[in-house]
Amino acid sequence: MFKSGAQIPDDHFRGGIQNTSQAMDSRLKLAGMTCYLQYCSEWRTVIMGKSDGFLEYKRSLSPKRPVKERLKDYEEIAKPLFGDEILKQGARCMDCGIPFCHALGCPVSNLIPEWNDAVYRGQWHEAYERLSLTNNLPEVTGRVCPAPCETACTLAINQAPVTIEQIELSIIEKAFAEGWVKPQPPAKETGKKIAVVGSGPAGLASAQQLRRAGHTVTLFEKSSRIGGLLRFGIPDFKLEKWVLDRRIEQMKAEGVRFEVNVDVGTVLSAEELKKNFDVVLLTMGAGAPRDLKVPGRELSGVHYAMDFLTLSNKVISGEVKTSPDISAKGKTVLVIGGGDTGSDCVGTSNRQGAKKVYQFEILPKPQEWKEPWNPSWPNWPLILRTSTSHEEGCERDWAITTKEFKGKDGKVHEAHCARVEWARDKATGQYSMKEIPGSEFVLQADLVLLAMGFVHVEHSKLLTDLGVQFDARGNIQTDKNYMTSVPGVFAAGDAVRGASLVVWAINQGRQAAQAVDTFLKV
Amino acid sequence: MKTQGLYHPSMEHDACGVGFVVKIDGTRTHQVVRDGVQILKNLVHRGAVGGDLKTGDGAGMILQIPHKFFSKVLKVPLPAEGKYGVGMLFLPRQAKDSERARKMIAEQIISDGGKVLGWREVPVHPDCLGEMARTVMPSICQVFVAYDGLEGLALERRLYILRKVLENEAAKLGWALEDFYIPSLSSRTVVYKGMFAAPQFDHFFIDLMDADLVSALAVVHQRYSTNTFPSWALAHPFHFLAHNGEINTLRGNINKMMAREGRISSDLLGAGIKKLFPIINPSLSDSGIFDNVFELLTLGGRSMEHAMMMMVPEAFGVKYHISEAKRSFFEYHAAIMEPWDGPAAVAFTDGTKVGAILDRNGLRPARYVITKSGLVVMASEVGVLDLNPPDILEKGMLSPGKMLLVDTAAQRVIKDNEIKSGIARSKPYRRWLEENRIELRGLLQVPGPVEVDEKTLALRQRIFGYTLEDEKMILLPMAENAQEPVGSMGNDAALAVLSERSQLLYNYFRQLFAQVTNPPIDPYRENLVMSLMSFVGRQGNLLSETPEHCHQLKLSHPILTNDDIERLKASNMTSFRVCTVPMVFDASAGGLEKAIEMLCANVEQKLDEGYSLVILSDREAGPGKAPIPALLAGSAVHQYLIRKGKRYLAGLVLETGEAREVHHFACLVGYGVNAVNPYLVFESLVDLKRRGHLPAAMALETAIENYITAVKKGLLKVMSKMGISTLRSYRGAQIFEAVGLSDTFVERYFPGTSSRIRGIGLDVVERESLDRFNKAFQESHSDTETLNSGGNYHYRLNTEKHLFSPQAIVNLQKSVREGDYSVFKRYTSEVNDISRNLCTLRGLFKFKKGQPVPIEEVEPADSIVKRFVTSAMSFGSISKETHETIAIAMNRLGASSNSGEGGEDEARYKPLPNGDSSKSSIKQVASARFGVTINYLANSRELQIKMAQGAKPGEGGQLPGHKVSELIAQVRHSMPGVMLISPPPHHDIYSIEDLAQLIFDLKNANPEARISVKLVSEVGVGTVAAGVAKGKADMVLISGHDGGTGASPISSIKYAGSPWEIGLAEAQQVLVMNKLRDRIRVQVDGQLKTGRDVVIGAMLGAEEFGFGTTAVVTLGCIMMRKCHLNTCPVGVATQNPELRKRFAGKPEHLINFMKFIAQEVREIMAELGFRKFEEMVGRVDRLEVLEAITHYKTRGLDFSKVLAVPEVPQGGSVRCVSAPVHDFSLSLDPDLIKKAKSALEFKQPVVLEQKIRNCNRTVGTTLSYEIAKRYGLKGLPEDTIKIKFEGSAGQSFGAFLAHGVTFELEGDANDYFGKGLSGGKLIVYPPRSANFRPQDNVITGNVNLFGATGGEAYIHGRAGVRFCVRNSGALAVVEGVGDHGCEYMTGGRVIILGQTGVNFAAGMSGGIAYVLDESQYFDTRCNLEMVDLEPVAEKEDREFLKTTIEKHAKFTGSSYAKAILASWDEMLPRFVKVMPMDYKKAMAKMKEHQMKNSESAEMTEEVFG
Repeated sequence: MFKSGAQIPDDHFRGGIQNTSQAMDSRLKLAGMTCYLQYCSEWRTVIMGKSDGFLEYKRSLSPKRPVKERLKDYEEIAKPLFGDEILKQGARCMDCGIPFCHALGCPVSNLIPEWNDAVYRGQWHEAYERLSLTNNLPEVTGRVCPAPCETACTLAINQAPVTIEQIELSIIEKAFAEGWVKPQPPAKETGKKIAVVGSGPAGLASAQQLRRAGHTVTLFEKSSRIGGLLRFGIPDFKLEKWVLDRRIEQMKAEGVRFEVNVDVGTVLSAEELKKNFDVVLLTMGAGAPRDLKVPGRELSGVHYAMDFLTLSNKVISGEVKTSPDISAKGKTVLVIGGGDTGSDCVGTSNRQGAKKVYQFEILPKPQEWKEPWNPSWPNWPLILRTSTSHEEGCERDWAITTKEFKGKDGKVHEAHCARVEWARDKATGQYSMKEIPGSEFVLQADLVLLAMGFVHVEHSKLLTDLGVQFDARGNIQTDKNYMTSVPGVFAAGDAVRGASLVVWAINQGRQAAQAVDTFLKV
Repeated sequence: MKTQGLYHPSMEHDACGVGFVVKIDGTRTHQVVRDGVQILKNLVHRGAVGGDLKTGDGAGMILQIPHKFFSKVLKVPLPAEGKYGVGMLFLPRQAKDSERARKMIAEQIISDGGKVLGWREVPVHPDCLGEMARTVMPSICQVFVAYDGLEGLALERRLYILRKVLENEAAKLGWALEDFYIPSLSSRTVVYKGMFAAPQFDHFFIDLMDADLVSALAVVHQRYSTNTFPSWALAHPFHFLAHNGEINTLRGNINKMMAREGRISSDLLGAGIKKLFPIINPSLSDSGIFDNVFELLTLGGRSMEHAMMMMVPEAFGVKYHISEAKRSFFEYHAAIMEPWDGPAAVAFTDGTKVGAILDRNGLRPARYVITKSGLVVMASEVGVLDLNPPDILEKGMLSPGKMLLVDTAAQRVIKDNEIKSGIARSKPYRRWLEENRIELRGLLQVPGPVEVDEKTLALRQRIFGYTLEDEKMILLPMAENAQEPVGSMGNDAALAVLSERSQLLYNYFRQLFAQVTNPPIDPYRENLVMSLMSFVGRQGNLLSETPEHCHQLKLSHPILTNDDIERLKASNMTSFRVCTVPMVFDASAGGLEKAIEMLCANVEQKLDEGYSLVILSDREAGPGKAPIPALLAGSAVHQYLIRKGKRYLAGLVLETGEAREVHHFACLVGYGVNAVNPYLVFESLVDLKRRGHLPAAMALETAIENYITAVKKGLLKVMSKMGISTLRSYRGAQIFEAVGLSDTFVERYFPGTSSRIRGIGLDVVERESLDRFNKAFQESHSDTETLNSGGNYHYRLNTEKHLFSPQAIVNLQKSVREGDYSVFKRYTSEVNDISRNLCTLRGLFKFKKGQPVPIEEVEPADSIVKRFVTSAMSFGSISKETHETIAIAMNRLGASSNSGEGGEDEARYKPLPNGDSSKSSIKQVASARFGVTINYLANSRELQIKMAQGAKPGEGGQLPGHKVSELIAQVRHSMPGVMLISPPPHHDIYSIEDLAQLIFDLKNANPEARISVKLVSEVGVGTVAAGVAKGKADMVLISGHDGGTGASPISSIKYAGSPWEIGLAEAQQVLVMNKLRDRIRVQVDGQLKTGRDVVIGAMLGAEEFGFGTTAVVTLGCIMMRKCHLNTCPVGVATQNPELRKRFAGKPEHLINFMKFIAQEVREIMAELGFRKFEEMVGRVDRLEVLEAITHYKTRGLDFSKVLAVPEVPQGGSVRCVSAPVHDFSLSLDPDLIKKAKSALEFKQPVVLEQKIRNCNRTVGTTLSYEIAKRYGLKGLPEDTIKIKFEGSAGQSFGAFLAHGVTFELEGDANDYFGKGLSGGKLIVYPPRSANFRPQDNVITGNVNLFGATGGEAYIHGRAGVRFCVRNSGALAVVEGVGDHGCEYMTGGRVIILGQTGVNFAAGMSGGIAYVLDESQYFDTRCNLEMVDLEPVAEKEDREFLKTTIEKHAKFTGSSYAKAILASWDEMLPRFVKVMPMDYKKAMAKMKEHQMKNSESAEMTEEVFG
């Protein structure tokens, strides 16, 4: 993986970190932030005026907990970085004339050089101010974002980029610890009522922005709790859920109304929704998973990855007390799909006590890349990435197609696969796949998780009743102002874009909020 | 010539040769007249001829009235001498009009109570004139006038009033200067002048040949003007004077005179004084206007000397040793009149006294000779008259600020000291000052606490448009480092008028700067001439002197702290009342226009009530009340009061939250404000301190003081850029050009400012203000009271647009690396699209459709790329790898790369093994002359004189010591680790005729190379380009304001110069109209990025195109904008070896880029129907403006002047079709080369003898070229070619003289002696028959050995000012020097056996000087900032000194040197060693290094031997 490849061990720095991390062992719990505070005050030792910080300091990421240890729990894998170390990491930022991280890398256009500089100067409050200008959920992106900013970092042309993501995380955690993150209720109420449907990142970001602009915002969520994909899709070892609760508290205090367990469209009809609200903003994500239509698909033990992960998350949070229907415990698990969701399945399976985990990907194995720089700067490089979950034990293989599942007693038992070959059509430039004759093989597996991505937004009753139009890919179609084909109904996030990064969802949520605000003013 | 297109006659410049000759005892002879004519003829090379190669720029002479001659030629009897006046008249050409004019004159004389004694047609020979001069020749006649009973001064005053009456009357009749002009009307002097070159002078005016035409004095002038539109009236001399130089502050001087007119009264001039108004005729040249005022002061009762001291005061800062009386005189007069600032050598006369004065900077030469037989000759050069050496009593030169006077009545020569001390003591000025001047106590003390309303701070900051960038990139660096912030790369952000974001009014103003026609000043190294002091308050009558005249507030600089303003407000002096007028308007109702009217009326009322100081304040700005843009308010009130004749009544102070950058203060002061209190800056600093942005250890007071210091330094820089020394004259001088303001707006609030593409008016200014204002309130709902990012300097999404977008860079690099033209098209469409989206003016242009041609028929890309060059980037600003990659790429293409100003490693002159060449075919010659040796010059195809650079026009630069690596030091001929300073001016170009001289020098230094001159676009660049063409350059480069830089103050990057579209169009138009375009090529550069840019450039008139920033981007630059920090992460702009390794550029990348550009050009050509590139050049008719300009700000833009099609005169052309013809007829080198053939070819010694005079210029340079071509820099063995000269050598004697040549000169030399000496040897001594003391007399001119890199010079006598400036390797012995000796020196050794002028060793970072300091005052004349003074103690030094002086004595026969040697033991302790501190350290380090090496070598031998 690019990011871990970029990690350069440096003993000198480690020494300083260990002391801190010992004291930090008690973890960053919602209630237990005191030690954090204690160390925050020490962060003020300022390293001044380093225009050549990138030459002096090496990139260093916060150390990850040992695999053995972390497999025992669902807690976050990486520990935040403290003390002078993070200031040094900030000092590596060159304050570029053109900050490609900000301009081409970051979907929310975070003012990265500004807060890097502030951190390096120890001006944490200023850093927080600059960060909150562009991002409603930095504590989330600071944990789960694949950080396209870092691949676009100017340093990544020929050396390891600035550790932008962990600086972002440090800033927002420091801000929460210091109590700077206060509710920002609007100064004036506009009296306009807005329904936001779906409480994933797009929903949260837009709801907060709209509320701060003075509108009355109701955020509807069909599940039991707020957070959408963030809460149920992402495992705790990547994003502990108190992080969400903390932000939701702030939003509540600002006056956002949360309505959970409301399946808008059924409980609350589209008609009513339109009647009761001046604007409806659809942010329900791209929930329809891509299916694998092969013989044996119906066997028990073949599940969508999201079902598996959601259940696991509910167990961890205590929402589901009983032992789960879908569990990897003691099983041989095959994860089909090489993306982030697949990787989350790997990590979760291992934690549940899987015997063995396989992950197959239909595309060829990407280029291996050991250098700290980005071969495709400033674009996202297509290289082999190894996630923390992979480190924890998993056999990965590429260019494999799954042709059939076979089972015993209606339970899946083996997957029949074959190797494929990819070729580029010279005329069209399109790649196409061909099975390699005689390459068929059989893999014993008693849990198969389909993590092959999502096709589009779920075409729910609500959408049909509202009558919004879909685009060719099945997502909600909007104009450039995020308005759907139905006047007054807006949409943003994965529901419009298709499944993508959290940070894109935040961006769309913010922009849609801006568009809605403008719409309401006219 | 009338205004046409972008041409405006007010932009004309001139300079020239000036001189006088006078018989001290007042004997009138015809010989004096002949001598005057002879002086002119010998100064002819300082003048110029126009496009017809015959029309001179003008010449003329002031003589005493030749009574005998007039009595003879006039038909009627004349009264006694002195009882009548003679008017020299230039009347309309048409006989009918001429008759009318005579009638009018006669009537006026009679109605004034005078008598017309007679008329006389002045006999002339027009046939000798050029055609252009002849067609506009006036009818020339003389009128003789008498007033009963009047004579002497009384008559003179009457005639003065009469002349003004006649001029005003003529103006009423609609006659312009060309139709009606009176060169002289006086009972004492008469002026003969006209549009001819000097040799035609006496042929034209037949009178001058008459033996009865006698005079005791003659003041003469030969003009070199940038224009060729003949103007008879503008030839010098004017009524009292002839001037060589330029008045930079003219606009301010004119306005201030206008403002004073209301207060002028004089008993001497009586009631008639009203008839004199306007004192100034604005259609005259700067010199003519200077004459207007000088005349008023002189006839108003002051002596000529006194008037000159007021108008051209010498510097009187604390660093000068001058008497208290003199200092008081100058300070007192500072309260009455501002200096007329700019380079000036002025010769003046009233018919009895004749004198000359030099401005405080001494930037024009003035040499004089006094003979025993009673003649004084003063001229721009020595040797203009043949004088018998034994008859010479004294040879001297005017020092900066000094005056020389010959009083024929007293029959004496009077020197500066006597003149000035006499006048300074004539009144008790010192006491008057002490008793009347008001000072702000505490002003210079520590600023007190600043009160901040933190709650509203962010809001108020936003009201005034503050961004985070303003705080971090402007305020903080200023407060921390007391320096203006430095940036790098060019400015590619949108022009203010094209920006969709609300802009401060300042952003529409571009700073003007000096180029060619006058020199910028170095405000740091020569700060002793600079002054920010001014008087503020109610001014007195110009024509009287009372103690109350100086009852004003004296400010040492124009920035007031919050304390100061409080103190002023609290003042309760009844004789100096202070009031505050609010400067805000109702934000809800708008109505800015009304608010300004009200403001003006309010201020006027306060003045009428007797207030002496008015504070305009926007402190009331807040909810409902928007601030009036401070610049608008300041200028509006200033101009209103001038119009009302009341500006002199009070000082104008601004208390504003808006001003924060140096440019803001420069604008405010430049448009007439006396002082500014930027209160919000100080409050912001408190806030920044609180937020931890300022170092914890730094006290807030220090931060504030630092900030003020930074502003002061910045102001000095802005002023000095234009060559202006004092704030008093800069104030109100309006040294700006507006880009994007409408005519009506400018005429109303900023009259006199050029604004050539029109643009927004008051309504948009108001809208932008309110936009800022309303946003400030809207955005404050959030809890975070933060400012916007900015995005003006560093890219931020959704803020200011930049031409180089992130995606464009990515695409460009990808395309050239992969050789993929389709990606390149994506890049160009992105850039072109952005420019369409308002970044550049050209973005608003489109092509007129043509008949397309098949692309195959279009000139191939390979030939088009030959028109492309890479812009000058020095090795030093960019890495070795980058520099060489560029050169290799361009050489492979057959195009040219430019060395930049950092010299070039000689190893690069040899081809590489693979056949590539890394030699830059264009070699730049910049102000510092780094590594400019004869070999460097010889190894080039083009020599480029860099007059200015887009990112920092009018400024020098410095390379800090840590960047001077061994290799850089080697090519720059300096010492590693020692700072290198580039002076702002070329010290051999102070004016247009000097540039012509340097062009001539370079042409001599490499006859094969073409000579180009790089200018930066600004208003008037066209006339400068015309001057360049007349100076015979082969090419002129017009650079845009937005060009790149390695390091430059941010305000220069942002606010100096103008877009190339305007400058190029202006240059093209003026060159075409002047019939000069056919012989000079034109190049353009400045953010050129696409084929479309190239085609637009071609149509606007360019033949060649330079790529700077874009070229380095193809090689990996990612617009980091950190070049000045040496931390370039891609190895392009850094000398750090680690970072250099990261350089990933390949020649192929740049080659691909150039080819792609050419390909795109071809595509456009095919579409428009051009087959050959040259067909497009100058086809401005094929450009038009996009109709689709819809943004509210761009609607008012008017490109009709830019897109005007110039009229092509008969025989003219819109592109270059020939080359300039150089006149080598007086060159000695062809003959010398012939005679030295055996030496050149076989190294056989040759000894020659040669007579020389001042018109034989640049001797030895082509000879040296021949040597360098054959033998490189090492040249010939010492003394292989020895030439003995006799006479007065012309300018640039021995320039770039190569090793192996020895020149011995018996006589004297002019300016630029030994310029760029490259190893040769120069020996000068006075004629053996002369018997004046050489060590007390000046025998070589100014700026000797400028930029010398090696060789030796022995001068028996004194040298002028700026001796050995930028010497980096020559050894020189001289017996005394003028001011600024050894300035910027980086190497070599200089021995001075006598007195030095002031400011010795300023900016001297290397080399050693030894000065014989007999007076023990040397340390007061030396600039000790960078050097230490030491005794000559080391044996090595002692021996060097003695042997060198012995050589000097031997070579020159100096009896003075012999005397010193004779008592060596007594003399040695009187020598002072001037040792640069850094140099000393570097030497020590090198020695240590060498020692270590030699020790280890010995050890090795011991061990292994």
